[in-house]
Amino acid sequence: MSNFTKELVDKYAEDLLIGLTSEENKMVLDEMDVIDSFINKINLIPNIENVTPMTHCLDDFVVTLRSDEVTESINIEDLLSNCDLVDAREIEVPKVVGNE
Amino acid sequence: MNKYMSMSIEKLHELLINNKVTSDELIAESLNMSKIVEEKCNAFATIINEPEKHDVQNNLLSGIPYGVKDNYSTKGVLSTASSNTLKDYVPFFDATAITNLKKAGAVMVNKTAMDEFGMGGTGTTASTGIIKNPWDTSRMCSGSSSGSAAAVASGVYPYALGSDTGDSIRKPAAYCGIVGYKPTYGMISRYGLFPFASSLDHCGVLTRNVRDAAIVVDAMKGKDNLDMTSWDSSNINLLNSINYKVEGKKLCYIKEICDINNYQSPSDELKEHLNIFNKTLELCKKLGMSVTEISVDKSLLDAVAATYIVISCAEATSNMSNLTGIIFGPRGNGDNVNEMMKHHRTNGFSPLIKRRFVIGSYVLQKENQEKYFKNAQRVRRLIVDVWKNLFKEYDAVILPVGSGVAKKLNNETEILASDTSILEEHLQIGNFGGFPSITIPNGFINNLPVGINITGNCYLDETVLNIAASLENEMNYKNQIAKEVK
Repeated sequence: MSNFTKELVDKYAEDLLIGLTSEENKMVLDEMDVIDSFINKINLIPNIENVTPMTHCLDDFVVTLRSDEVTESINIEDLLSNCDLVDAREIEVPKVVGNE
Repeated sequence: MNKYMSMSIEKLHELLINNKVTSDELIAESLNMSKIVEEKCNAFATIINEPEKHDVQNNLLSGIPYGVKDNYSTKGVLSTASSNTLKDYVPFFDATAITNLKKAGAVMVNKTAMDEFGMGGTGTTASTGIIKNPWDTSRMCSGSSSGSAAAVASGVYPYALGSDTGDSIRKPAAYCGIVGYKPTYGMISRYGLFPFASSLDHCGVLTRNVRDAAIVVDAMKGKDNLDMTSWDSSNINLLNSINYKVEGKKLCYIKEICDINNYQSPSDELKEHLNIFNKTLELCKKLGMSVTEISVDKSLLDAVAATYIVISCAEATSNMSNLTGIIFGPRGNGDNVNEMMKHHRTNGFSPLIKRRFVIGSYVLQKENQEKYFKNAQRVRRLIVDVWKNLFKEYDAVILPVGSGVAKKLNNETEILASDTSILEEHLQIGNFGGFPSITIPNGFINNLPVGINITGNCYLDETVLNIAASLENEMNYKNQIAKEVK
């Protein structure tokens, strides 16, 4: 009996604001048990509880703060030319507050 | 048809500075070749018919055409990462690597097609269609730097940029009979490279010989204030460090990967691939290097691919949350911002990418984070520690690439587990540790190329390149151009 359902797969996708067609959902659902079993190979390695998770390639980064100097920034006209909806020198974005 | 573009960078530079050819002639030939290879292999996202030209200077790259994988931000040139989510995106800035190459006078003539956002190993998920192998168009190039590999192997130009998160430079290079090099993590700034999995992503290059790879990375590299993971390599000159002195170098290979007895019912192709590998080891010995078989815990090797999938899919779901259609890419439809973003993402991403996102979402669910994501990061450290310990004793690990030649295109689905999966996936260890890693061609099976990989310790790129260049000189595959198998 699979631990996965169509609704669960849709939820995983919905969390990322992605919709799945019924074909896409079936493709993923049909594989989820195999994927789950496959990635579970990680948990066959014993005694890893105290290993520090490795989040970067290099352990010897030397991070220094940059001096607070004004540097060249992107030209506003160049930036606006890339936008679909522009009003004067402002980018039109969807309303996100006060919709009620 | 191809008079110059099959030559090395150094040869082209010599012709340019002696006025035997002009940059305009090289560009014209490269553009003509681009159109031929597009027809045959579907290798490009964009061909730049009027490229930005540069004067020929003393710099080896000046005036010479090159290609750029479509996930590098290129000012004023469409940059889609072969995804419909960015189908109209024309960046207003260059990636730092591109800026550095412009300063060197390099001439970008096309953007190469790739697996969508680098999230594939087949070259079959580009928004512009399937990318075909120039040696045999019924086969894949592998991915994700598929278009770059096809173009360089076909003689469109001497080099093209790639990116490598799991093996995306080094495996297509092997399948196309060329050189693929990813330097130590952070040697080249990732600023302007569309992120897939930031802790694994590397910039790099595909060429037809090792010296060319050194020349290009010398020009691309450098500390960049826009990428905090980049580091100062100004004391390193990769080209000058190639002195072909490898006597006394110590190599090792891994029994659990290279011994034919590890595989149940091995195919004739696999037998031949490992036979070619063993012949290359003999060449290493002839050059004065020692070669030692060592053993690694099989359960760790078996977990490599799972570790990669969990970390890369999880990081990708986070990185690609900025693909909303609001900031860039086509706006989606909807009555509110969430509907608009969902419409954009639902219609923009291809099914196979959505599949990876679902895996990423699954392993990042609150109840799964420790079991999958954190444990994958722990296993990553254990695997890297094994390699770091090897590098205390050996200068490099040498291994065969993949289980043979390029796969047929009708077999392109991602295979999660098989008898030979460690052969297919071990290059990911180079990304786990940020190790310098290079693939060079080392033979043919049924007239199709196969490759070998050399990986060394972080910051010791010169050692890796020297071993590769010395070995390359002992074989007959330097500067080869794809000859289509009939």
